[in-house]
Amino acid sequence: MSSLLQVQEVSFQYPGALILEQVGFSLNKGEIFCLLGPNGCGKTTLLDCILGWLKPHKGKISLNGTDIGNMSAKTLARQLAYVPQSHERTFPYRVREMVLMGRASYLGPMNSPSGEDMAIADEALKMVGISHLKNRPYTQLSGGEGQLVMVARALAQRSPLVVMDEPTAHLDYKHEMVILETIVDLVKQTGLSVLMATHIPNHCYYFENNGIPTRVGLLKDRHFMGIGRPCEVLTDENLGRLYNVQARIISCDLENGRQLRQVVPISTINRSKNNQGVKN
Amino acid sequence: MNDTKKTRQLILFILVPLLIMFASLFLGRYPVDLGTVIEILWCKITFQPCTAAEISQTLVWDIRLPRVILGALVGGCLAISGAAFQGLFRNPLVSSGILGVSSGAGFGAALAIILFNYLPTTYIFAFVFGVLAVVFSYLIGRIYSSTPTIMLVLGGVIVSSVFSALISMLKYMADPLNELPAIVFWLMGSLASARFQDIWTAGVPMLIGTLGLLAVRWRINVLSMGDREAHTLGINTVVNKGFIIACATLATAGAVCVSGIIGWVGLIIPHIGRMLVGNDNRVLIPVSFSLGASFLIMVDDLGRLLTGSEIPLGILTALLGAPFFVYLLKKTKGGGW
Repeated sequence: MSSLLQVQEVSFQYPGALILEQVGFSLNKGEIFCLLGPNGCGKTTLLDCILGWLKPHKGKISLNGTDIGNMSAKTLARQLAYVPQSHERTFPYRVREMVLMGRASYLGPMNSPSGEDMAIADEALKMVGISHLKNRPYTQLSGGEGQLVMVARALAQRSPLVVMDEPTAHLDYKHEMVILETIVDLVKQTGLSVLMATHIPNHCYYFENNGIPTRVGLLKDRHFMGIGRPCEVLTDENLGRLYNVQARIISCDLENGRQLRQVVPISTINRSKNNQGVKN
Repeated sequence: MNDTKKTRQLILFILVPLLIMFASLFLGRYPVDLGTVIEILWCKITFQPCTAAEISQTLVWDIRLPRVILGALVGGCLAISGAAFQGLFRNPLVSSGILGVSSGAGFGAALAIILFNYLPTTYIFAFVFGVLAVVFSYLIGRIYSSTPTIMLVLGGVIVSSVFSALISMLKYMADPLNELPAIVFWLMGSLASARFQDIWTAGVPMLIGTLGLLAVRWRINVLSMGDREAHTLGINTVVNKGFIIACATLATAGAVCVSGIIGWVGLIIPHIGRMLVGNDNRVLIPVSFSLGASFLIMVDDLGRLLTGSEIPLGILTALLGAPFFVYLLKKTKGGGW
């Protein structure tokens, strides 16, 4: 397996605050890499560096072997698409017009999308299953549908890598599943690679349970405290160190021979010290 | 939207302003009939000797026609820049003057009236100070290395208020019999002094700006996603924003320097466009030009017909635009807002 994205010894600081210190990982083709870590650990900063939006002070980020520091926004956008955590809705563009914006990196400054771009946008809408919404103003959609539009827009970029920043934040129970299922389908069908920041450890297990090559990076205090497959890294002990939360990994065997693993949180660690008597 | 409907719309948005322009040639205290107007236009365009009365020729060709053309250009430019800025700043409440071009131009004009009291210098000063004001706003916005939208808006607010204060100072210092009324009238906006030479000079920046905005109009959609998303969609935000600001500034400064300050067009016409054709800037930008041109010529017609003396344009655009806007709001239910 060749590595698509390589992050080597990246450091980033805001004035007076070191956010990332010599962080490194790599992401292979057809793989999902999940970034886990408490609020403020630098997940979004790391993603911003990878998106070329922030410049790391030290270290190197390369895509397919090319340093992204030498890439224009246009070249970068053909390699990597972005699904934001929360998209601030402004003008009521139609859903299809939104998805068409994913074609920007293929169009000259004076060009508008062509019929071919239109076809690619329609296909992207079909892949995430929202073709029926294409003429609706996207400001009228629900949060979940809106996030699917963002995923479709990223797909219209036809890039091998999609970066997602907490794509299921603010979504209801069902739509969280819809987004996760969409990601799984896309990775299986198109060989897409996904880099995803999330707050929910079970997302990593969900991908692994579905048979997708998944790795997870635990980011805490400017460093990765562990990188590996969810079943190796997402242990009771590591979750305790990462979040200060006491949690149990529960697994059961499914009929098809696969194992289903889930994290069940029990209590925060300070609290459990105070209440030693709680049964567990 | 299917193709025939699109074509029909396109023809409509080109024809309507042209028809309004043509109709406006008849309007005025001195009546000129259809045949005479066509004859005058024809022989002037083909450089043939004209048989129509001398006064009709002067009225139609030298006074009404340049005024109508200039009105169309000014209205179109204010509206198109307003639409572009609304997209760029991701804010539907922004107008063409957001970066201080109007107050800068107002100051330049007032300064020229006091120093020279000679019309061509007023145009030049208004244009130069209008552009300067935007340059200042942009430099303030660049205090951070990139140009975050909020900093640009803040820069515009700062620069506008400084120039407004300077305008007040000039008014205070001006000779109250001649200069002060001239400044006040200029600030209220008018097309009364329009001549062909104004079109040749102010028309150049207006056309360049308009063509620039028309060329990159789809990119305004992408930029309206915000800087970070526009960047990840593959657009160099600093270069593209700079280009759009430059084009919109040329167009607005060109318009303001010959017409004075005409509010409301750059804010409300793009919204009327949004209600009629939607928010896709591919369509909205040209439609805004067409609507702005039509609106300003009609308002100017009313301004010169309603009373014996002319009513300044800045007053009428608001008085007529507001009820029309409310009517459209009610009719289209706001168009998805």
